[in-house]
Amino acid sequence: MHSKLKRLSLAHETAELSNGLRVVVHEDRSAPIVAVHLMYHAGSKDERIGRTGLAHLLEHLLFEGSENCPKGDFDRLLERVGGSNNGSTWLDRTNYYEVVPSHAVELALWLERERMGHFLPVLDEEMLEIQRSVVINERKQVYEDRPYGMAYERLHEVLFPVDHPYSWPTIGYTSDLEAMTLEDARDFYTRYYAPDNAVLVLAGDVGPGAGFEWAERYFGDLPRSPEERAVIRNGHPAAAGRTLVLEDRVSFPRVYDAWSVPPYGTDEWVQLDVLSYLLADGESSRLQRTLIREAELAQDSDTYLYPTELAGIFGIVTTARSGVSADQLRHAVDRVLEQVADGGVTDAEVTGAIRRARRDQLNSLANVEDRAEELAYASTVLGDAGRLEWLLNRYAEVTPAEVREAAGRHLAGEARATIVVLPGEEADDE
Amino acid sequence: MNSLRRSATIPRPLPGTPPVPVVPAPSRFTLENGLRVVALARSDLPQVAARLVLPAGSAVDPADAPGTACLVGSLLTEGTQELSAIELNERIDNLGASLGARASHDFAEVDLRLLAETLEEGLDLLASVVVTPSFPSREVERLRAESLDALEARLDEPANIADDHVDEAVFGPGHPYGRLPIGTLDGVRRLRRDTMVEFHRARYRPEGSVLVIVGDFDVDRMRRRLESAFQGWAGLADRIEYPSIPSELNSPERSVFVESEESGQSELRIAGLGLPRSSPDWIPAAVANYILGGSTITGRLGANLREDKGWTYGVRSGFSAGVHPGGWVVETAVGAEVTARALDEIEAELRRMVEEPISEEELARASEALILSLPRAFETPGRTVSRLATVEAYGLDPDYWERFPQRVHQVTVDDVARIAAECFAPERLVRVTVGPRSPVGS
Repeated sequence: MHSKLKRLSLAHETAELSNGLRVVVHEDRSAPIVAVHLMYHAGSKDERIGRTGLAHLLEHLLFEGSENCPKGDFDRLLERVGGSNNGSTWLDRTNYYEVVPSHAVELALWLERERMGHFLPVLDEEMLEIQRSVVINERKQVYEDRPYGMAYERLHEVLFPVDHPYSWPTIGYTSDLEAMTLEDARDFYTRYYAPDNAVLVLAGDVGPGAGFEWAERYFGDLPRSPEERAVIRNGHPAAAGRTLVLEDRVSFPRVYDAWSVPPYGTDEWVQLDVLSYLLADGESSRLQRTLIREAELAQDSDTYLYPTELAGIFGIVTTARSGVSADQLRHAVDRVLEQVADGGVTDAEVTGAIRRARRDQLNSLANVEDRAEELAYASTVLGDAGRLEWLLNRYAEVTPAEVREAAGRHLAGEARATIVVLPGEEADDE
Repeated sequence: MNSLRRSATIPRPLPGTPPVPVVPAPSRFTLENGLRVVALARSDLPQVAARLVLPAGSAVDPADAPGTACLVGSLLTEGTQELSAIELNERIDNLGASLGARASHDFAEVDLRLLAETLEEGLDLLASVVVTPSFPSREVERLRAESLDALEARLDEPANIADDHVDEAVFGPGHPYGRLPIGTLDGVRRLRRDTMVEFHRARYRPEGSVLVIVGDFDVDRMRRRLESAFQGWAGLADRIEYPSIPSELNSPERSVFVESEESGQSELRIAGLGLPRSSPDWIPAAVANYILGGSTITGRLGANLREDKGWTYGVRSGFSAGVHPGGWVVETAVGAEVTARALDEIEAELRRMVEEPISEEELARASEALILSLPRAFETPGRTVSRLATVEAYGLDPDYWERFPQRVHQVTVDDVARIAAECFAPERLVRVTVGPRSPVGS
């Protein structure tokens, strides 16, 4: 093991209730706090064309109270015990979580029970109208009014065929948000917000004994979903090699490249993640060194790899320096990718990349909130929380040959999507 | 269908006795060269986080060279007496470390993140970038060009435009807090390498600086490594002379409008003068602010503008920490069509804070939230470094965090009223709108 990393372990116990709810308890007594995390295996991939944004809008609605917990009380009760809470929606999952001092774990579990079992009676038009407006404002603030803010939405439209559930944005299209009805929200909730479609993780100052007993007490009687859930298997279709040019009110050109690659949890995904660090994490990484430092073509150059279920998404984003054209940037990025695929990478580069990946993993394992989320995510997307430990330790075994091969197999050639954003007038958003 | 989903109601469980927040006690010592060190060992993860805080922020930029502190910070990791820029960065990257500096108004902060396995090499690298940076001309020119591009690009964001106008309106261009640490286009263009070298010589000194380090190490062994890594570094940084706060701060309310014609939202800021971080009123002010807008959803502003009206994705308020009184600001982005009404609602909430006493219930909720969330503030090495660095940087009592719960408990309804009158009174505040239409006259 050339990178000389200590093995990471994330001890936990799992159980499944009779209604299908999977429960994971990760005990860590170092601070008197507990993360309570509920992840539902439903995200924007489970929406249909014409109703995009439903999973996320529903997440907003699920903070607006329940049968036994009026609007506003949810946050106030948690605040009063020094807890925090939030939720988020992504392509494959929606999550809700609280971090509470250890004396208030049952309160958090009770609130999640309310969310899973007592929401529909309070869902009404007024609640929908307010949160529809909040989400449309969120869309403006986070995407439409931000420089380069529409690039990812367009990128995924180009990368995936129109019927692929990763082709539309999690925030949803404005026209779909405007069309959303109470019935849409009810249907989605009934189908997906059920114990047999969820994972509960308790992480921190709590043991498996109390954890499983509480899980049974607060969730054991909730019924399974009466609805069938379709299994989506779209794989990772090769992109058509298309490029789309957008104009936006920005000062510098920016190029977004993306590839559809093997999904989270595979060996190849880990190799690609190491490649991602090797290419653009750190000032001596290939892209940063070549484009920013040596050729002085770019202000920044970043890579990312989504840990997604149907397909991974590998991306490279590069912003031009003044006086540099988007074409110059694209050619420079391509040359770096060719060099990696043809000429390979060194042991030292791979060791550094693995260590930097470990650095970021430790950052997210350092707090119980993120640790709970990682365990919940592995359980949701890979079917087993234990796969997380395997995955984290798999990095240390990645070899230069594997990295080179991953680059050659997945990033070389024409099967990519590209968005070029140029300074100009922003087009209408839809 | 609904009936299928009906489940029994379980009564809400009452929380037990809260755990007493325990704040870790670090060891404090001073190296032979005068550098103060605050160290806390914890072995739960093989990780180390460190921050070196130096009195080298943009407040001490030479008058004719705004942007110096920032550029000096960026150039620390662009080559040392022994290593070229690329050699240095290969070392950092191959350790799996992150190492970089940034300058705020008051301080330069050098942040280091390491795997425990590489602690000693990492500390050596930290010392070499702080003590012997070489400011290679080629890297100076490259970073100058990058800074100029960054200054231009940041104005693509309406939120940045709003923030810039707030600082200038509250502090005036003559005060260091009224200027951006990154500098100005003109200043950065003219900035000379000599000026940076001299700034580093004068301000990057062990006496007056402090290193906070938290993580998986043995304190004695780490201390010995620091002694050897930082030997040869000596001296005291010059004291910072801050200009006095300009008198126009107490002038009547003002409004600034900047057109951003295609935006679907307006960026709104309502801002004024706050308190120095070391003020005994900082904690009462934190409580008062928490009630108004410290919490996005449950704060009065969030409950009104987001949860009741649906006009915004978020609204918050906050005090900025500073050696001198920093700013206080309400910030939000609202649908452009409701700009004027949103300003009115915010102003009404401000008046309510000033004119009506808060309830004991609200006070208790805010106090408990601040106290009981304390263990989370020390949960990770990175967060712990940040909390401990605050104590050192602003000269707070060494037991500041231990006494924090007690001091929050002492805050009264009257304290909150006093802070509200001083800081939240609308007639003392500046309004900044960046959006498609001016709210005035609508």
